[in-house]
Amino acid sequence: MATTSGSTIIGESILINGSLNGDEDLTVRGRVEGTLTLTRTLVVEPTGIVKAEVQVKNCVIAGVVVGNVTASESVEITKEGRMVGDIAAPRVIIVDGASFRGRVDMGDLELPRGERPSRPAISRPTARPALPPRGARAGKKEEAKAEKAAPKGPPAPPPAVGMGAVKKKVVVRRK
Amino acid sequence: MAQAIEKASPSRSGAHTVIGSSIVIDGEISGDEDLVIQGTVKGKISLKESLFVESSGVIEADIDTANVEVSGQVTGNIAASDKVELKTDCKVVGDIRAPRILIADGATFKGNVDMEVREHHKGK
Repeated sequence: MATTSGSTIIGESILINGSLNGDEDLTVRGRVEGTLTLTRTLVVEPTGIVKAEVQVKNCVIAGVVVGNVTASESVEITKEGRMVGDIAAPRVIIVDGASFRGRVDMGDLELPRGERPSRPAISRPTARPALPPRGARAGKKEEAKAEKAAPKGPPAPPPAVGMGAVKKKVVVRRK
Repeated sequence: MAQAIEKASPSRSGAHTVIGSSIVIDGEISGDEDLVIQGTVKGKISLKESLFVESSGVIEADIDTANVEVSGQVTGNIAASDKVELKTDCKVVGDIRAPRILIADGATFKGNVDMEVREHHKGK
């Protein structure tokens, strides 16, 4: 009984039209249309067709899924899987041979955000010397202040910044 | 009684559809194979084969199948082309229409019973 109550199977000739909710694994070999909400894993087998808004923990697609899939853990489209719709899950696996059309949203990618602010900080010193019209810009007080503030800040750190600071000082002298 | 069901269920689940005990379906189920229900189904069930409502199964739906075996709860009308069996400890509320209807000792049932097979006579 434990084995059967832990997993639900929708057989090949079965069509379910409506909403399906549950707290156990679900294997679909037939058709499910409507909405499908599970707190565990959905497996769509090669004969299975799901045309539904799907909300699950894990999703393995070896059949056909048409609709949006939201998974709290992972979505995997196997080589036999075909899907049209949007995927929202922290882990999305699409293997070679799988067919998919739609958007993928893996959520907030925190690592790149942490890197981005530091990257411009490095690239700025190299970009600044490249700006030619220093003389014209020097007339604007705001920019002059900004440029004065910049060399004051980073006197100690790397030599690249030091190069930029030297050139800025030259601009100030011309003024 | 419960043991008999437990023994029977794995063989059923091997080839056919099982709706597990934590599953709730609101809508329509149709198909050409046996269906075992351990969970909850609301709406409508249409099958060409047998429906098994196990002791944990709850159905609030009209049922149209060949065979029905109820050990759980059914609220709704049952129409079977072959047989309806209400087993011990089942609870059924609704009308039953089938050529063969079995109600076991201990079953709870409220509704009309119709064993005249009008559809078959009309069909012939």
